[in-house]
Amino acid sequence: MEYLIGVLLPQLVHGLVFGAALGLLALGLTVIFGLLGVMNFAHGELYMLGAYVGIAVIGVTRSFWVALVAAPLLVGVVGALTEVAALRPLYRRPPLYGLILTFGLALVFREAARQVWGGDMRRVQPPITGSTPLLGMTYPNYRLFLLAVSCVLLLAIWLFFTRTRAGIVVRAAVEDAEMLDGLGVDVRRVFTLTFAGSAALAALAGLLLAPVFTVYPQMGVEMILLAFIVVILGGMGSMGGSVVAAFVIGIAQSLLTLWLNPQRVAIAIFALMILVLIVRPRGFFGREGVLE
Amino acid sequence: MTKLLSLVTVALLVAGWAASPATAQQKVVKIGDLGSKVGVFEGYGKYQTMAMQLAVEELNARGGVLGHRIEMISEDDDTKPAPAVRKAEKLILQDDVKLLVGAVSSGATMAVMDVTRKHKVIHWNSVSCAEFMRTTKFHRYYFSNQPDSRMQANGLAKYILDRMGKRVYIFYTDYAMGQSDGRQFKTALEKLGGEVVGVAGAPLDTKDFSPWFGAINQANPDVLFLAFAGTDSLRLMTQLHSFGMTKKYKLAGIDCFLLQQDLPAIAEPMEGFVQLAHFSPYNPDRHMQAFNARFKKRFGVDANIMAGAYDGVMFWAAAAEKAKSFDADRLVPLLEGMCLDDTHIGRQCIRKEDHQVVMDMHLYRVQKGKNVPIATVSGQDTIGEPLVGKDPVAGFTWEIKKKN
Repeated sequence: MEYLIGVLLPQLVHGLVFGAALGLLALGLTVIFGLLGVMNFAHGELYMLGAYVGIAVIGVTRSFWVALVAAPLLVGVVGALTEVAALRPLYRRPPLYGLILTFGLALVFREAARQVWGGDMRRVQPPITGSTPLLGMTYPNYRLFLLAVSCVLLLAIWLFFTRTRAGIVVRAAVEDAEMLDGLGVDVRRVFTLTFAGSAALAALAGLLLAPVFTVYPQMGVEMILLAFIVVILGGMGSMGGSVVAAFVIGIAQSLLTLWLNPQRVAIAIFALMILVLIVRPRGFFGREGVLE
Repeated sequence: MTKLLSLVTVALLVAGWAASPATAQQKVVKIGDLGSKVGVFEGYGKYQTMAMQLAVEELNARGGVLGHRIEMISEDDDTKPAPAVRKAEKLILQDDVKLLVGAVSSGATMAVMDVTRKHKVIHWNSVSCAEFMRTTKFHRYYFSNQPDSRMQANGLAKYILDRMGKRVYIFYTDYAMGQSDGRQFKTALEKLGGEVVGVAGAPLDTKDFSPWFGAINQANPDVLFLAFAGTDSLRLMTQLHSFGMTKKYKLAGIDCFLLQQDLPAIAEPMEGFVQLAHFSPYNPDRHMQAFNARFKKRFGVDANIMAGAYDGVMFWAAAAEKAKSFDADRLVPLLEGMCLDDTHIGRQCIRKEDHQVVMDMHLYRVQKGKNVPIATVSGQDTIGEPLVGKDPVAGFTWEIKKKN
């Protein structure tokens, strides 16, 4: 019992916090995949840009909260411009074109950030300080805030896609864009706004996690691998699956650290993914026909 | 008319060629700068390049080496052994560098040592600190002025036991450098009667260190010894601070934990952090101040521990001038035992047996974002006996010896 309360439960909380933040990042990735059929390799860089733009806004306004609104909006604009200028001409081409393009965009964004902000690490002060006694340890209030805000955002996104007309239009575009176009909906606009929304979501995750993980040009590369695992595990294109998979990966990583050395934890995460894919080849909630 | 135009054109081209820098200047000798230029150790690689650049510019201003202008070629090794080997071979075989400085990460440096041994090129290490480089991996073309794990542990363990506490938890980055630092520190501390109450390794580039914090808190040490570097250190300190652990435990760590430039951004979590290092721009030592003034004048920023790369170029140039040759086999005997007075910290001498520079170091404590010296440790007290060809970790175990 002491082990459960003193060791396992704190690890579980760490895993939940990490999983929730990972879910935010992976959700944008999975929506873009479902809609455009493109694995967006630049998604990690949009996450990174969110943090850097956030720092720039904080520098001007001295407010993390203003940055939390402004940075996703600004990166969302970058996302919209990227979709219109670069991705749109490739929609009728095989998926490989989009893959290569986004890979190139990732390099461009990363090096642009390095040129503008330099390669040095930057730290963002958490807007909420202090800590709360929790399960025998002192838990930072900002992490609890992160868990709460991530869960609220995930719920809001779910409500958007299931309860609003705009959300239903996006889901319809995911199912059959041509049919939607035939029904008179401006599908190109839907694509642009969805890509912008996905970029904004990545930026929001980047800034929310900045006080925990610090900020540097490579930060997106390192997170995107885990986000890809989440998307594959959850089922390509499945939003609910991504959220579940993000929590599974976050908690598994946190708990396995107790018993395995770090390299083996990384191997175990991949083993978990392989195991799930053997039992459920489409991931937790993957749809028939996606990547088949 | 056409003929005249052709003649004028040819004459102009010849005149332009004759006046071009390539022909107007002397012969060129190339040196290689290999290290992490992006990623977790980016800062170290960047300052290594700057330190070497300063040395190259100073030497070229004096006429170069043996009448040759020095040209530096920089390569990024991606902080990994395999690319480091590829880039080292490119520098040696394609660019024909006569000196190779690098890499930054210990794993990459050890891999590059095989290349420099094979191609007989002078190899200078000024930041990697794994204990194998001057022992089992040692070769005659390898030299170092970076205090390795054993030197740092020897100097730091005693201070920690005397001034900070006897119960220590070792938390390290789980690859060559961190493992080496952890091993050597555990060995040194236990030898002096200290108690290691726990050890844990986190992989390079760990995002969230909090899963390890429970174990540290359970062990309840007096001191937390941290063997991390680069972005890992910054993240770790940010997270330790948010969990209240920077106030709860006394903190100590390795010399390359964070560069001086990183400290102001993380001043509060780092307050009181103790480390052993050879340089700080806040050390009043006149040699350090003189070097730092030149560095700052050239680059507009303070120097840091990567200044050791400057000395690597200077030692090589001095040996080449003395040998009147760039041939590595003629330079090695001259470098062995060589002393230079005007390095970034004053006098440095290369020990003949293992090609390690013997240097006095300082214990530094971080105060308001500055590495402030608190004590001097003699180089002779830290360097330890030469162990060329011997296993420096023979009999070592990570096992925790419980004390009653």
